[in-house]
Amino acid sequence: MNTIAIPPLLEARNLVKHYPVAQGPFRQPALARALDGVSFELAAGKSLAVVGESGCGKSTLARQVTMIEAPSAGQLLLLGIDVGSATREQKQKLRPLVQMVFQNPYASLNPRKRIGAILEEPLAINTRISRAQRRERTLAMMDRVGLRPEHAGRYPHMFSGGQRQRVAIARALMLDPRLVVADEPVSALDVSVQAQVLNLMMDLQAQTGVAYLFISHNLAVVEHIADRVLVMYLGRVVESGTKRAIFDAPRHPYTRALLASTPRLDAGARRSRQPIKGELPSPLAPPPGCAFHRRCPYAVDRCAVEAPALEAHDGHLVACHRVGEID
Amino acid sequence: MALLEIEQLSVSFGRPEAPLIAVEGVDLAINEGEVVGVVGESGSGKSVSSLAIMGLIDPPGRVAAKRMALAGKNLLDISSRERRAMLGRDVAMIFQDPMASLNPCFTVAHQLMETLAVHVGGRASERRARALELLRQVDMPDPERRLNAYPHQLSGGMSQRVMVAMAIACNPRLLIADEPTTALDVTIQAQLLDLLLALQKQRGMALLLITHDLGVVAQTAQRVVVMYAGQVVETGALPRIFQAPRHPYTRALLAALPENNVGRQRLQTIPGTVPGQFDRPAGCLLQPRCAFAAPRCTQERPALFGKPDALVRCHFPLDGEAR
Repeated sequence: MNTIAIPPLLEARNLVKHYPVAQGPFRQPALARALDGVSFELAAGKSLAVVGESGCGKSTLARQVTMIEAPSAGQLLLLGIDVGSATREQKQKLRPLVQMVFQNPYASLNPRKRIGAILEEPLAINTRISRAQRRERTLAMMDRVGLRPEHAGRYPHMFSGGQRQRVAIARALMLDPRLVVADEPVSALDVSVQAQVLNLMMDLQAQTGVAYLFISHNLAVVEHIADRVLVMYLGRVVESGTKRAIFDAPRHPYTRALLASTPRLDAGARRSRQPIKGELPSPLAPPPGCAFHRRCPYAVDRCAVEAPALEAHDGHLVACHRVGEID
Repeated sequence: MALLEIEQLSVSFGRPEAPLIAVEGVDLAINEGEVVGVVGESGSGKSVSSLAIMGLIDPPGRVAAKRMALAGKNLLDISSRERRAMLGRDVAMIFQDPMASLNPCFTVAHQLMETLAVHVGGRASERRARALELLRQVDMPDPERRLNAYPHQLSGGMSQRVMVAMAIACNPRLLIADEPTTALDVTIQAQLLDLLLALQKQRGMALLLITHDLGVVAQTAQRVVVMYAGQVVETGALPRIFQAPRHPYTRALLAALPENNVGRQRLQTIPGTVPGQFDRPAGCLLQPRCAFAAPRCTQERPALFGKPDALVRCHFPLDGEAR
């Protein structure tokens, strides 16, 4: 072990988030295991994509990383500082370093504020610079995301979805964060606009060295933008690895199913498609053993009893009992 | 004769002197048992066209067409009562958001039986049995229990299965699916597309699939109609149209997909945005965003021309090769 290693920008160690769900006035609340032991690392300037179906815990993860909620257990280290046990002052210092871009740019911008005011607000709250300086930095940022200076005086409703998402990205970058959590940032956009926004995000990463935690269900987008990929299923990581490892040689049956379900232009892929059966089970009553076994074409008896651990295999981390056997 | 024939369909909203043109001169023909995909970005008029076919555009929206016929029956001069009777019986539709399409106050059984009562009739017990059978046909897990479920107790995928069950209840000859899987996860999307195609084959039903997802169309449709700013810009059979698109817009859309940019640093983009109500350009509507625009494109609006099975609206159609 190297003792002088620089801590990664973001590290999760066995991160757990449970939500109590009321079951009625006289019954014990049930526990929804939204995150059930998630571990990963994200280096500065890199992009980690989190993929999985709705309900797999992607957005819960985003809420922990952005410090909107505190994890139930486990550690979440930002620049080596555990946000769970951080002091108020430490948290105040950490918060500007992590910013967020939301899915729906029609809902995430205040309709009553002008674009200029929306972009200046993070500076007004977090810095002590003068109004003129704020204005200057706002205009500089607008230029970088491809908005014209006259847009500062306009309201969000005067913009298209793609332009609004540019505003949202600009707002996230106003404080020079080290990490931007992007929760489905292009899912609400059309194909041609989606390409513009993805290019912008990659350009900004190259210029500023910001890291992205990129949450998406669109695997084609992930394949373009990510360095590493984390595949989640029902609050757990089932597979993680570099983008090439995941897309060229997926090892977990769930990753394979996700890739096979993604519509491709290539009509030849049409025949070979084998969609998985069933839907994501309830996180209130996860199946025993491997959470995926009821939908898995490779499941054996052991899968129904014993939950597989996330283990290194062929350059990936995979949580599957049969990873060595199936091919 | 095609099952659905539409010529020169136009839909506009707002004041007649300053109309918002949503659909402009759309021709569309669908044969019995055919799967046709309509693709386009938001604002291309693909949903409004389908609503017009269903007769669901209310005033102040204005629908005009030279011809609009389903199975030889002219939809333009039948009474609204006759038109209503056709909805759900001859042509049915499913929508993007299944959670919003079901009535939250009634059970699945109630809503399925209501459709059957309107079009088929029969005793309640018979209709209930038929509702259960329909849920089985759409592969609903645990159908007996779901019959008594309320919509909030169903997942998005299950709700969409109920919508499909309702749509096929009266054996329609044409099913219009408007972004049926956009709100769903890819795994559930794959299941539902397979279900729709299986039902379409079994019943010889025609399927009009409206989507913004070119991958979905590539995997399901036989023929594709590409729309832009309220117009049809290209039609053609798969896989030819995606392998050798002839309209610059079709080509640019395909080029913007991440899967066509594997290994590239930057995605290819289409500059600008779809024209709005007040900035519809003279000449070709794509011209301000088109990489191949020539002076003629700014003056003269191109017409849709070509062989009936491969039309293109462009003065300088690409011959399919990269230029």
